[in-house]
Amino acid sequence: MKVNEIKGLNLPNKKDEEFLKINLDPLFSYDFKKHQTYEFDIMGLETIEDKNTYGSLLFDITKSFDNTQKVITINKNIAEPIFLIHKIKENETFYTNSLKIQVAKNIKAQVVEVFVSNSQNSAYSVNRSFDLEENSSLEYVKIQDINESNSFIFNSNIEQKDNSTLDFTNFEYGNGFSLNNFINDINSKNITYNLNGLVKLTANTICSNLIRTVHNAESSTSNINYKHSLKDSSKAVFKAKSIVNQSALFTKAFQNSDTILLSDDATIFAQPHLEILIDELEASHGASTGSLNKEQLLYLQSRGINKDLAYDMLLKAFEEKIAHNIKDEIIKEFIETYERSKYV
Amino acid sequence: MLKIENLHVKINENEILKGINLDIKPGEVHALMGTNGAGKSTLVKTLSAHYDCVVTEGKITYKNKDLLDLDVSDRANEGIFMSFQSPIEVPGVNNSYFLKTAINEKRAYNGEDEIDAMEFLKVVKEETNKFNIDRKLLQRDLNDGFSGGEKKRNELIQLLMLQPDLILLDEIDSGLDVDAIKTVANVINSMLDGKRSILMITHYDRLLELIKPDFVHILNDGKIAKTGDYSLALELDEKGYEAIGIKDESK
Repeated sequence: MKVNEIKGLNLPNKKDEEFLKINLDPLFSYDFKKHQTYEFDIMGLETIEDKNTYGSLLFDITKSFDNTQKVITINKNIAEPIFLIHKIKENETFYTNSLKIQVAKNIKAQVVEVFVSNSQNSAYSVNRSFDLEENSSLEYVKIQDINESNSFIFNSNIEQKDNSTLDFTNFEYGNGFSLNNFINDINSKNITYNLNGLVKLTANTICSNLIRTVHNAESSTSNINYKHSLKDSSKAVFKAKSIVNQSALFTKAFQNSDTILLSDDATIFAQPHLEILIDELEASHGASTGSLNKEQLLYLQSRGINKDLAYDMLLKAFEEKIAHNIKDEIIKEFIETYERSKYV
Repeated sequence: MLKIENLHVKINENEILKGINLDIKPGEVHALMGTNGAGKSTLVKTLSAHYDCVVTEGKITYKNKDLLDLDVSDRANEGIFMSFQSPIEVPGVNNSYFLKTAINEKRAYNGEDEIDAMEFLKVVKEETNKFNIDRKLLQRDLNDGFSGGEKKRNELIQLLMLQPDLILLDEIDSGLDVDAIKTVANVINSMLDGKRSILMITHYDRLLELIKPDFVHILNDGKIAKTGDYSLALELDEKGYEAIGIKDESK
């Protein structure tokens, strides 16, 4: 079974502007032995037909295999986060999974998803829809930790109503090929959308983040903040496009990508991009790329700390800035103590 | 303890030190004075293996070892402590964790057991109490958002905890008020045990009044132009560089 042989499925082309620098051909042309819908380990979830048309072709991959979607509706405040752990074990399998997370009016919720694998040559294509009602708040944290020879496509479509807040934090730790796709069309007022990510790669890992945010309503904030820590021959792509339309007065739109390249062969392609059609807003975008600060390194060494340890301390400080943004203390502790070996 | 012979150092291909000779014996306090650009900071940066400084000629012997063979952290663990003129801010690295790590690195270098958390807190409390230094600095990230005075006080905490043998002070008095300078002097004087040596750079007589040097060296154009005792610093303070025969090469 090859993804590029599915009838009626239009796939992104690497010549498309959005997918420049991302080579999907090896994944789409790979002959998987089978397809499987990944089932959640939660009983009684509602199942609906996914009738949405999404702003990216990537959503259609999962839908072409299985057009249904599980729904988690959170309609009362919960004291502890919901944890969803996905473990991919079978080899040569193309898994799909689709979930809608709905947070009701005035409700505060926390959800963590962990995607791990110890399979060979498998792939996981995941669709997520986030619906936040008025005055609701969701802290969503994702850890991607797939192993070498595996692929992962994560599509998220976000719909936020007035005065809602989404804090979305991603930790990209895995060693395979991963592609994250975030779409938020902001059509409501006073919403807050914080998208944070730590992309920590080694070996020949490739991780891409495509982020599209469209401001159509007044007084909303989008803040996209990614940090990349790239070793060996790893490669990361960060493409963030934020559009502020004429109807989106008093928007705040920020994008930032910081990268530390830890070897001569590591590569980052960072493209923060703003399209602004109004004057009444606050906006900024930036991308930095470099190595660790040599003055800081020298200062630590000058107190007797050997170079390798000083290096690790500074790298950890850089990486931990993303985890520090997490508000929920239970999730924060979970991230601090996370180890892949606990799950596979 | 430290012997510098015919030291030549370049920074960005410019020769800054042009043949320094200096001998510091255990227990001695040396003050290094000179006009801006004379090479004072370059000398202490060279001693602590700063990446900017390229030694082109000469020899430095420290505790009978060739200092130039040791890297930055080894020099620190051998007992050299340089107090930075502008201590570097390191956001994300907790000050207390940093200090405990530095102590344990030195202990490991000397084949000693690690200091445990309780012992560390006890020693920090004892040392900072002696000199009325605010320990809250340790709860913050290393020098992150510290005022100039706080950064210098943090250097003193490190000095007290690491107990080095050769202390290099690069204008530790700059930007400090009178009370803070007194604290610096109290800390340094308390560490003078007849074995520990000090090389301090200062522009002002104020610090030298409080920490009496055994030797005062005037550096000019990359060389030691004059050496004397404390009276040389007093003469310099009274008459200025030109009157004692030092031509300011930067003018």
